[in-house]
Amino acid sequence: MRAVILDGIVLGLAFGLLGVGMTLVYGLGGVVNLAYGQIVVLAAIVASLVMNEGVSTALAAVVGVLAAAGVAVLLDLTLMRPVYREQGEERILLGLLLTLGAAFVIGGLLTWRYPTGALYINISGEPISILGVPMAVGSIWASVIALVVGAALLLFFGATTFGRGVRSVIQDEIGARLVGINPSFVRTVIFALSGALAGIVAITSSMSGPLTVNAGFELTTFALIVTVVGGLGSVAGAFLAGVLLGVVNTVSAQYIGQYITSVILLGAAALTILIRPRGLLGR
Amino acid sequence: MTLPRLGAVVSGNVGRALVPIVAVAAILAVLPSVWFGDSPFTTSLAVKALVFAAYGIGFNLIFGCTNQLFLCVGALAGIGGYGAAILTDETSLPMAAGVAVGTASAAIVGGLLSWIAVRRSLGVIFTGIVTLVFSLAFANLLLGQRDLTGAETGLVVTAAPAGLADDRVGAYYAFAGIVVAFLIVFRALQLSHVGWAFRGLRDDEMAAELAGVDVARYRIYAATVGSAMIGLIGALYAYSSGFISPATYAFDQVDVRVLVLVAFGGLGTLLGPVIGAAAFAILDERLSTSLELREVTYGIFVVAIFLGFRRGVVHAVVGVFNRLFGRRSRGRT
Repeated sequence: MRAVILDGIVLGLAFGLLGVGMTLVYGLGGVVNLAYGQIVVLAAIVASLVMNEGVSTALAAVVGVLAAAGVAVLLDLTLMRPVYREQGEERILLGLLLTLGAAFVIGGLLTWRYPTGALYINISGEPISILGVPMAVGSIWASVIALVVGAALLLFFGATTFGRGVRSVIQDEIGARLVGINPSFVRTVIFALSGALAGIVAITSSMSGPLTVNAGFELTTFALIVTVVGGLGSVAGAFLAGVLLGVVNTVSAQYIGQYITSVILLGAAALTILIRPRGLLGR
Repeated sequence: MTLPRLGAVVSGNVGRALVPIVAVAAILAVLPSVWFGDSPFTTSLAVKALVFAAYGIGFNLIFGCTNQLFLCVGALAGIGGYGAAILTDETSLPMAAGVAVGTASAAIVGGLLSWIAVRRSLGVIFTGIVTLVFSLAFANLLLGQRDLTGAETGLVVTAAPAGLADDRVGAYYAFAGIVVAFLIVFRALQLSHVGWAFRGLRDDEMAAELAGVDVARYRIYAATVGSAMIGLIGALYAYSSGFISPATYAFDQVDVRVLVLVAFGGLGTLLGPVIGAAAFAILDERLSTSLELREVTYGIFVVAIFLGFRRGVVHAVVGVFNRLFGRRSRGRT
């Protein structure tokens, strides 16, 4: 049981990291970025290509993360402009459709060029014992990275002026504009950050198993569930939701069964919306 | 959207309101003989287009008319299809019973989802997420209940008469008839008091509520009727193709396409889903030679469409028409 829960926490931190990138963009302008999973995959493929050239893993990972951030900024500067000119439900719908189109383009190009592409970062080493449970080194690395990134994000949004500016846009776009914050610039930065986070997800999740070229849709779905359960635009909420869902996932997979587990996870998301639409830590 | 002219509900105009439907019916009737009668490939492409046009009409009724983003068209069709297939498989009931049960189950589930969304006053995006979650849960249930559904291997569906199952042209006419019937239902709803309520709550929900429109009731009503349509098509499609698997009703196979084609044709318009389905059928045919780049082309197409004409082909055409002939917008297309 202890091992199962620890596994759940490892998975949950990965979920949390996955959700953060989506929840920030969602909270900032109501855009559900359906191309998010494809950006993760893009980072993975870029990193694997760079690695095949004989470059060190760490450098390849950085290149992958930068590539993802670049694509995200490109999305923001092109497709997202008309979206943010709309208001309310028009904006939501246009955002959904355009990012869906972008997801097709990115995913399609990747599966066309690299049909068997995958990223697997093998971290060798003896399993490390935590609370008497031997844990794979890759999982520990992934969890540590997720925790560090989470802490850095909390620090960024809590203690820096720009971070506070971002939060003000999340809370009230017009109000933020009135006190001299440029929402459009903030959104570009957050899109870049979201892309970089997607890249980091690609790196950490490939430490415990290969991340294949067609994982995009599934990743988007999980990110969406974490976003909903955690609360819009909430970094801490995303990690809390991630860990909760991760533990539920492994416990139920261990004792009940695989398919029912997915149903339970999805049920948890639906239940959150129905009982507490703001999410766990939403405003 | 502007208010429709008062004359729109006067009975003398009902005939004119049916003109587009008659035109569609005529085109659908002659299409096989003038174009693709002898090509099985094109015929099955046309059947697929009709199936999607019908899904689109149901979805349009739910989303286009009452603003409920139901991202579970595939799941509702799957409830219809699997419900019907399992019933006629386990018992020896005829196909009609299967279709009836499938349609009713989809209607109940759709109505229930809408009831939940209305009761919890979920906005567009949350309704979308809840129904998306429902779709994925349904897909997992299909995979999990191997004994009943056959999981990935799928289910062979018998009990259909040969005219529907073996004869593609027969299937074409069956689905064409249903599309026309759905269009008539849609138009009838538009012309009745229900249509007025739909337009009111779509334009301004609060104002409609204040004017005495029971928004909740009409939403649930639209969702139930629309889901019944989707379930009916899901069930009929199962019998006509003779084989179903989770992929038949998968989110990425059905919902994405339906959303895109209805938005392309024009949300809330009568002919939008039909035009959208036709456009995507042609796109499919053109792309059938370059299968690898299909997804990419599809994506570029989607982005281009929604950057270009936001409100759909029907609205764009009506706009140009009105400008050319100086007519006031009728708001009803």
